[in-house]
Amino acid sequence: MNVMITGASGGLGRALANECGRRGYKLFLTDINEDGLLCIKRGLERQFDVPVATAACDLTNAESVDKMLDFIDKHEIRFDMLLNVAGLDFEGGFLGREREELVKIVLLNNAATLRITHAILKRRRPGRPFTIVFVSSLASMFPMPIKATYAASKRFLLDFATSLRQELKNEDVNVLTLCPGGMVTTHETICSIKAQGFWGNATTNPLEGVARNTIDRALAGESIYVPGMLNRVLSFFGKIIPRSWVAAVVYWRWKEVTGDVSMS
Amino acid sequence: MDTIVITGASSGIGLETARILTNHGFNVLGIARCEAKCNRAKERILSENPDAKITFFVADLMQQREVVRVAEEITFYLDKNCNGKLYALINNAGCVRSWYMTTDEGYEQQFALNHLAGFLLTYKLLPALKKAQGRVIITGSKSHKGIKVRWDDVMLCHRYNPLIAYKQSKLCNILFAKGLNDRYAAAGIRAYVVDPGLVNTDIGNKETGGLVNFIWALRKRHGVPPAVPAKTYAFLCMQKPMPEGLYYYLCKEKKYSGQVTSENANRLFELSERLCDIRYEEVEMV
Repeated sequence: MNVMITGASGGLGRALANECGRRGYKLFLTDINEDGLLCIKRGLERQFDVPVATAACDLTNAESVDKMLDFIDKHEIRFDMLLNVAGLDFEGGFLGREREELVKIVLLNNAATLRITHAILKRRRPGRPFTIVFVSSLASMFPMPIKATYAASKRFLLDFATSLRQELKNEDVNVLTLCPGGMVTTHETICSIKAQGFWGNATTNPLEGVARNTIDRALAGESIYVPGMLNRVLSFFGKIIPRSWVAAVVYWRWKEVTGDVSMS
Repeated sequence: MDTIVITGASSGIGLETARILTNHGFNVLGIARCEAKCNRAKERILSENPDAKITFFVADLMQQREVVRVAEEITFYLDKNCNGKLYALINNAGCVRSWYMTTDEGYEQQFALNHLAGFLLTYKLLPALKKAQGRVIITGSKSHKGIKVRWDDVMLCHRYNPLIAYKQSKLCNILFAKGLNDRYAAAGIRAYVVDPGLVNTDIGNKETGGLVNFIWALRKRHGVPPAVPAKTYAFLCMQKPMPEGLYYYLCKEKKYSGQVTSENANRLFELSERLCDIRYEEVEMV
């Protein structure tokens, strides 16, 4: 199994790479952070003795992606699975963020994800099933004031993946959307979980379990994976409660946690 | 003047040990992650003893490239100031986690810091230890008992349990010390593990949350001050001739787990060498 992982040097990317390495998959890892890529490559090779190729790439830059694709074509690498992990968020309300930061969220989470998905689908291994995972978020289930751009970008991925799944059903392609709650990957995520108190802990998903289940479920042909019973209940209510009400509750909740940052 | 390296030296047991050893006239090289805390620790030691020989090196030992970098800096210092001799290395830095988190290499953090960082640092400083016929002292714990190393999933990726991960990392500490003694006791290097007991430090409240944070906040109140276990480190540094035991609590030898065998120690050595991409037997001894 040849697997490409984007955002491979971050917390979830590393956990998914570990999970694939444990299964003996051959890996092609990309990330903007070249040092991080080399570190995880070393770790995977030492732990699992699997072939790991890396290419540092800014997925928001078409030239950078083309350069990586040239490398892939030159070495005739073809894939069976694509794990779209690369994504970002910036803390703070809409007017509290820099204009270009907001645009960058959409550029990476959406535009760049479409770019790489199209490119790698065109480079799938012929005659074999293909699997795509989009890393969305529990935030995709709700309108989320104070995280409006991020949540909407993740909603885009959820809707896009659902449509793409239908479109490619006859091409032997399975598309899974992962919608996790919080996951502990960095010092900042620990602070954020602590700041949210009970709800922070309750909606946090164990990283290693999410990684393992994501691969299992993607290979089993599932379409969406919301880790954690409480998160599944929350996402259910997100579907039946009027969206304006949800927005009001979420705004009240985040304001409690972060202070009123919408105008700052 | 004999030189001693202490990791995790800016707070808790490491700081107290540095304080006691500088008061006994040792030249102490501390390693810690936060520069501001290093500066505060140095000020504290010097305010009590203006003649103390204390130097801090900043490094995040969780990441292997940082271990290698700081080891090179220390080797340079030892070559320049101490005839390349290191009298003792105290692998004390450690952590507790509430969740599965990984280092840049993708290694589980408790295993990476509590065991692999010391394993790699000791390897890097082995020539200097050999020159001084030095000692390696590792901070262990009574919690190494009642557990086996999960050889098929040493990073505990399957159903991660933070307490099991901690206990296993502490078992690895004593297996590493045993492995060192098996290999280097004949060359004059001895390794020891100290059980500090329950100590009132913040180890369980750093980068943790939920239950782990809550339980540690309650538990540590019943712990002894760091100065109590620090005496055992000082004892092991100063005893002459070198003590021949492996596991010490309150300056006395103590019984350790039946899992501490040469077979398990060799298995851990082999695994750790692979994870650090090093070979102890290739170290040039002087």
